[in-house]
Amino acid sequence: MTTIILILIAVISLLWSFIKDKAKTKKTLKISTKLFKNTFSEVFFIMALVALFLAWIPQSVIKTLLGSSNEIFSILLGAAIGTITIIPAFVAFPLAGSLLKSGSNLVAIAAFLTTLTMVGFATMPIEIKYFGKKFTLIRNGISIIAAILIAFGMGVIL
Amino acid sequence: MISTSSIKKHRLKIVTVILYLFTLVVNSEIFFTAIKTTAGYLKEMFQILPAVFIISGLITVWVPKEVIIKNFGKESGLKGKLISVFIGSISAGPIYAAFPVAFSLLGKGASISNIVIIISSWAVVKVPMMIVESKFIGFQFMIIRGILTVPAIIFIGYMVEKLIDKQEIIKDNGKEAKESNLVIKVENRLPQYNCGGCGYDSCRKFAEAIVKGETKLEKCSISSEELRKKITNILNNNRQIELTN
Repeated sequence: MTTIILILIAVISLLWSFIKDKAKTKKTLKISTKLFKNTFSEVFFIMALVALFLAWIPQSVIKTLLGSSNEIFSILLGAAIGTITIIPAFVAFPLAGSLLKSGSNLVAIAAFLTTLTMVGFATMPIEIKYFGKKFTLIRNGISIIAAILIAFGMGVIL
Repeated sequence: MISTSSIKKHRLKIVTVILYLFTLVVNSEIFFTAIKTTAGYLKEMFQILPAVFIISGLITVWVPKEVIIKNFGKESGLKGKLISVFIGSISAGPIYAAFPVAFSLLGKGASISNIVIIISSWAVVKVPMMIVESKFIGFQFMIIRGILTVPAIIFIGYMVEKLIDKQEIIKDNGKEAKESNLVIKVENRLPQYNCGGCGYDSCRKFAEAIVKGETKLEKCSISSEELRKKITNILNNNRQIELTN
């Protein structure tokens, strides 16, 4: 649904731009195709690697890792797994739900879900391309810490 | 710079292909699962990336710098941060789709903290994702994680801004990016007829040669005196910036 809205916004604004000023629209499309050329192949190969990784590591492995009885260990592990993997939300949430039902640590699951989306180890090369190494490392580093804090906060509240 | 980055690019491709071939030989079932997942990702990329790139291009060309600085700049305050959270959370697509948009906003004068907020909330604060989360894990879990995450994201933005200077990002981006920026600036001022009178195929190639110092502006016979002065000014300004850095 949001994807359709996004595409609609892009198409309508582009049409508006075309009616207003053809030269500027040409420039816009030039910039867009350049961005596409620069980013597409890299994103594609990274996602292919992520897919391969997910195919090799079955969900059951993640399940055993996150189900560890040592609380601190499973929280850190949850954050670590979330950091290095990209799992689509429609896979991650059912997985997390079944983990919680089978008695896994809630804080570990929260850490896993938050780092999963906020910190991207796999997408770091793309981030570096746009913003440089320092920015990427600092942003991802602080995000990991924040994710663990969020997880602990949830442990206190829930 | 150019050669090492192209080797790096190919390295990623080569590694991916080798790993896939290895998987095919060792376990074809895993290979086909991975191919299927990749196809799913590819579909998502084709749905989202063109739209994202068009919007980034439109921002770069149309939105005046002052508007971005007012709403997303250093002085935009809490309102700017909340707008950033809002923009990130209504946008579709995974985190890598946020980078080009954030990058063009940064170039237009948005502050680092707001850029970080847009990237982070683009990744985490998502309405469709929250619906899935509350369905599988529970409404209470989802809402508390959401309430804790928004201030955390604003805090992350604040911290990153404290730790890194905007100038450093632009510098870290490498000389290559800076040079291509300069090429674009020069190219934009050229007549854009691609007449070939200067001996180069296009105005773009001519601009590249100018930046590298391989040719002289006077070779562009259809440009006016005034225009050449403007381009010379751009080149001189750039040299000054390089020296002061």
